[in-house]
Amino acid sequence: MADQPLETPEFIERLRQGDRAAFGQLVKAQHNMLLATARTLLNPADAEEAVQDAWIAAHRAIAGFEGRSQLRTWLTRIVINQAKMMLRKRGREIQFDPADEQDPLAYRFKQNGAWQLSPQHWELSGPDNLLTREELRRCMEKHLHFMPDNQRLVLELRDLQGLPAEDVCNMLEISASNVRVLLHRARAHLFEMVDHFQETGEC
Amino acid sequence: MLKCRDVVDKADALVDGSPLTRRERFALRLHLLICHHCRRYVRQLRALLGFLPRQPDPLDEARTDAILKRLEDKAKD
Repeated sequence: MADQPLETPEFIERLRQGDRAAFGQLVKAQHNMLLATARTLLNPADAEEAVQDAWIAAHRAIAGFEGRSQLRTWLTRIVINQAKMMLRKRGREIQFDPADEQDPLAYRFKQNGAWQLSPQHWELSGPDNLLTREELRRCMEKHLHFMPDNQRLVLELRDLQGLPAEDVCNMLEISASNVRVLLHRARAHLFEMVDHFQETGEC
Repeated sequence: MLKCRDVVDKADALVDGSPLTRRERFALRLHLLICHHCRRYVRQLRALLGFLPRQPDPLDEARTDAILKRLEDKAKD
């Protein structure tokens, strides 16, 4: 049988009835995305374990899934809860209050709010497109790795997975303005990284 | 009049389609019309986000089956 689209009432009903093929389809479609979410907070081995445990929790709870949120949001929330539990076991917590860090672009502005150091021009077309350079890819991965957990998580959910801002607020239990600030800082970090690469050719 | 710093703050909503009031949108447009530094910032931010890696591949059959198998074993406990 061809795969049914996720998020349709028919598919959700099959899941709720305990249809094995439907659950398999869900796992196949969502596992790697959930793993990417878990990896923003945990090392690869712990992330794998958190997602495995999340599948067990989801499998137990699916019969009661009411469809008030998207399936994808519901699953992501379960994964984040598993990841938080795992962090707690390791004696860590994620801090969602963004107050402790400066805006990475703040130094570029004069007192009066105008640019002091405006961005470089990036070549964005043709074979020289800066953003398609392999070194830049690697540099981006490195920067993502060193970004604060809360920023990396929000960037992953909003910009890589395209979840709606409202869903992200709900699943992380933080305010819309905190999500906005965290996302802005994460993007600003990446912008700074690319701009520096453009200027110096180095990561 | 918006400052460049304010434009950079609001550029996030502009590039990801988050709601802005008509007044905010108008003020942004006006600023971008006259400020090429901010135009460049917005254009490059948009390009950067467009290049972020998206949806990962689906899981392969063997690993999907392994997860299902594990769920069924757990359900028996």
